[in-house]
Amino acid sequence: MSTHSVEVVYRGVFQGTLAKNICRGIVLAASIDGKIGMAFGRYSDSPERNGIPAKQFAVVSDTEEELQEVLAAYQPDAADVTIVADDTMCKGIESWAWYGLQPINSMLKGGGTLLITSTQSSNKLINDIHRRDEPYDLAIIKSPASLAGKFVYKDDHTDVKILGALAKIAPHIVSLDTITQAIQDQWKDDKKVAAAKKAHDRTDTVSVSAGQGSDRPTFDFELPGWTKMGECVSIPAQSVRQDIPGREGGYTPGRSETFRKFSTRTMRPVINFDTCTKCTLCWLTCPDGSFDITPDGFYDANMEACCGCGICEDVCPVKECVTMVNEEAFDDNACQWEMWTKDKESYSAWLLGKISNRPARSHGFHHLGQYAEEIANESA
Amino acid sequence: MTKANVKSEDYTSPPVLDQWKGPKKAAHEEYYTSGHRTCQGCLSAQGMRLMAKAAGPRTIVLTSTGCMYVANTTYYTTPWVVPWMHTQLGSCGSSATGTAAGLRALMRKGKMKKEKINVIAVCGDGGGIDMGLSAISAALQHTHYNLLIYCYDNETYANTDIQVSGSSPWGANTTFTPPGKLHRIMHKRWKKNMAPMIATGHPECKYVATVSPSYPVDNLNKIRKALSIGGPTFIHSLNPCPKGWDFDPMYANELGELAVESGAWPLYEIENGVLTMYGKSKNIVSGRFKRRPIREYLSRQGRFAHFTDEDIDYFQSKIDDMWEKWHVPGVLPFSVE
Amino acid sequence: MNPPKAATANKSDAGAADGGVRELISGSEAISHACRLADVDVITAYPIRPYDTVMQYVSKMIADGEFDCEYIIAEGEHSQFEIVKHASTVGARVFTGSSGVGWLYAFEALAVTAGLRLPVVAMVGNRALDDPGAFGTEHNDALAVRDLGWMLSWVATAQEALDTTLISYRVAEDSRVSLPCAISCDGAFLTHSQVMVDIPDKATVDSFLPPYERGKKLLHPDNPITIAPQVNEDWLMEIRMQSDQAMRRAKGVIVEAYEDFNKKFGRNEEPFIERYMMDDAEIAFVGMGTLEMPVKVGVRKLRQQGKKVGFIRIRWFRPFPTEELREALSGVSAVGVIDRDYGLGSPYNSGVLANELRSALYAADNRPKVISYIAGLGGREVSTEDVIHIADMALDAAAGGKTDDQETYWIGVRE
Repeated sequence: MSTHSVEVVYRGVFQGTLAKNICRGIVLAASIDGKIGMAFGRYSDSPERNGIPAKQFAVVSDTEEELQEVLAAYQPDAADVTIVADDTMCKGIESWAWYGLQPINSMLKGGGTLLITSTQSSNKLINDIHRRDEPYDLAIIKSPASLAGKFVYKDDHTDVKILGALAKIAPHIVSLDTITQAIQDQWKDDKKVAAAKKAHDRTDTVSVSAGQGSDRPTFDFELPGWTKMGECVSIPAQSVRQDIPGREGGYTPGRSETFRKFSTRTMRPVINFDTCTKCTLCWLTCPDGSFDITPDGFYDANMEACCGCGICEDVCPVKECVTMVNEEAFDDNACQWEMWTKDKESYSAWLLGKISNRPARSHGFHHLGQYAEEIANESA
Repeated sequence: MTKANVKSEDYTSPPVLDQWKGPKKAAHEEYYTSGHRTCQGCLSAQGMRLMAKAAGPRTIVLTSTGCMYVANTTYYTTPWVVPWMHTQLGSCGSSATGTAAGLRALMRKGKMKKEKINVIAVCGDGGGIDMGLSAISAALQHTHYNLLIYCYDNETYANTDIQVSGSSPWGANTTFTPPGKLHRIMHKRWKKNMAPMIATGHPECKYVATVSPSYPVDNLNKIRKALSIGGPTFIHSLNPCPKGWDFDPMYANELGELAVESGAWPLYEIENGVLTMYGKSKNIVSGRFKRRPIREYLSRQGRFAHFTDEDIDYFQSKIDDMWEKWHVPGVLPFSVE
Repeated sequence: MNPPKAATANKSDAGAADGGVRELISGSEAISHACRLADVDVITAYPIRPYDTVMQYVSKMIADGEFDCEYIIAEGEHSQFEIVKHASTVGARVFTGSSGVGWLYAFEALAVTAGLRLPVVAMVGNRALDDPGAFGTEHNDALAVRDLGWMLSWVATAQEALDTTLISYRVAEDSRVSLPCAISCDGAFLTHSQVMVDIPDKATVDSFLPPYERGKKLLHPDNPITIAPQVNEDWLMEIRMQSDQAMRRAKGVIVEAYEDFNKKFGRNEEPFIERYMMDDAEIAFVGMGTLEMPVKVGVRKLRQQGKKVGFIRIRWFRPFPTEELREALSGVSAVGVIDRDYGLGSPYNSGVLANELRSALYAADNRPKVISYIAGLGGREVSTEDVIHIADMALDAAAGGKTDDQETYWIGVRE
């Protein structure tokens, strides 16, 4: 008699279909084993947004009663396996469904497994992930994060690779035989079955000891009760500016303390202030108003507010003045303009290091046939 | 920002907001700031930001249900610096009328300090072009109220998860019109021609304009002109939606430019009965700019990925009609004998 | 009822402190005078019978310069109610109204007005719901919003319509309450028939009704706030709780308002209910609105026959006068509730009022039998004979006869 919960953390619209395929695959496989289960998304994450982290779950049990015990709660209180569909979420996630920044492993049971698709090393990932008191396992599927759009799915087999890897790390939840049968039933595609088996055989697991990992601060927000909340459904507006010492003569907008959005970012702009012409376009076209105006008239992307859409790179008229760089290349949200002002030479070196041979990212649909090209390149 | 060349006790004539000559003249202050939960590259959010920046601090904003409600203001998070309030999906026009009427009554009767306060009511295409059309039409008849109706058109009910609206482009894939084995094209209605409908139907409305956040200076200045000209005014904005149109958020601005350069989204204003085409749209009419094939616009959006060449040709032919057969190219969809 | 005060002028009072005037006017016109005296700032109108008569009087007052407000004819009831809702958020005192399906066309606006805690005051000219189209009175229109946070009152005379409108503004706008309020007037009986009414002077009204102050909830650039941000399951229960507490507080604020109103206007009205010949009553009628006329006549006739019958007219349906009714009915053995509404499929298939009363009396020590009667639907006459018939059935039930208190009796319906 047993019940198991699998949590899938994914990048909203970019990975909604992927997460659904994974959770359905788990429940279908369990049903082949004579178990029962449920696949569901957390309602308060919907409607999904591009990039904003969201969660789906697959819960499988031997009996109806055991399943009910888990589903009686709004969401499972702990996960045997947490699947992370994009490794840049390892630094922590902020979603619709709660307030504040949560560690990626906050729901993982002690001794459970964090399963991540990533091209990074386990050591690099462990340094990003918040430390815990109990040990747990870290399993990596060596492939880049698969991001697509709402209507055109990037069918690069990431879904079945994750299912195959799950059978390797948690055979007590789904065995390789049943998962491959479920995949065959679902897609009638031998290539997918082969991809699942390959991922099963190649997935490596390392153990993470208690206390190992990042101590990067998280933030939270305590919900007031009805006696403290404003009457007539009203809350205070944002302030028009922040007065920051050393920024006199510039402009920093007021910003929400309760939602910061930076964990939505899969890449961030790095700015070459030496070549910047102060044309204003990055600042003027940023939907999140994330550019601070510096005292010397530069536009500095504020990493607490930037959600990494990339429009600033697209509109910047100067080559490599604004460059989007994979979020995995950064450990903090440090202010680039301050780094540059302090030491221009080492900033140039830092900048060059970031923008030369940066890992590729797909950030959704560009044109017909693009996903097929990407899949070809990735498998090559 | 607001010129003080109007007497402080005068609250019936509109504020005078001067035009900003170039992006460097635009105000630094943000009145719609970070803290919204919209998608990456959301040009509807960018539309809100430009609108608030153009209007300035003495402004009240009402917003109909939609992404710019739900994604913007989850309880205890708000991007708004100016006073803001939600209104119902069909109530964009009513919310503007009620707010302007309340302020006018209180100031006239000496119950509130007399000053100019911008009243802007925002709706999406679902709230404005479908459900709220009659209330907007009524609001635009009240010529003694200064108010702006700003319709951000992302061409679907985006917040409810991308369902077709009366402003969705022909053939688009939405969660209510998915391409299937039997029916490739489920959405067979052509997009409403909203701004000209408003202009021709409301002869006393002094200002109707179309904008695109991809042309921010033009967008900012049209907002400022609409607020300065007085009476009820209307602005229709096309706001590319990375989620619902299915494209990489990085290219949101390019999609907005492609919509204009392909002729799908004409930029113009109708001020006191005079039509002026803007930018590329003006050059399309004069022949100085050759429209880019609609294929370039459609093929970069996943919502059209199911289109065949015939579908694209049909779409192109309808766009060609707009510019070659219409009485006023890109604006009035009939010819005159 | 109230003793008429000495009448002087016979032309409409324009706000001078002359002790008021006495005029022959309808309930609708009486409410229009209340709006003028309350110096309402924004009024929205849309035509539907029978409430629309109030707007005909309002518009004439404005045209004649007797009343200064923003007067907007909307393009439908939804907009009509949304416009005043928004005017209220910037601090304007507002008035509007509707009837029957018009009220329901505005249903969404009615719900959010209560949710936002905006003190909109509205007149409902009670009217049967379509289909089929009918002008006559039925109470299901106003009752449709009974659980959403609207305070609901039913008035029986033109005088009470005027008085209750002034009281409604004071209660609705009180910062302890801040809830919308609807004044129900039976179509035709009140909206279209005229009686002599005392119209008070502006100075007395001003001494009773303070200006509408929205405080920190005002939507204005000097007080930047965000109103009604989207909530998830983390918040809504707390917000509903705040509304629940406001409605609970409303009962005490209504009592305060009647005490002050009686003092300033020389009245002697009980806040929630009117008791008629209840002192030694053994059975009682309970009803709302203009039913009081035939019921009071019937009660007098029954008294002449030596039958100890009384009548309680409910003035406020929300907040519901639970304690008051328990106390007032503690001495009777049977209650005949006359509903001018229907509750299809409800417990015992009874009217709305009957079932509310049953639930209010359930915890009473001495629980009388409650017999439900449906009468006067679509404006049909409720005759004195009907009332006597109902009383005899109630007496029969009280004596343990065949009249069934778990049955609902339709009165005056053809078979």
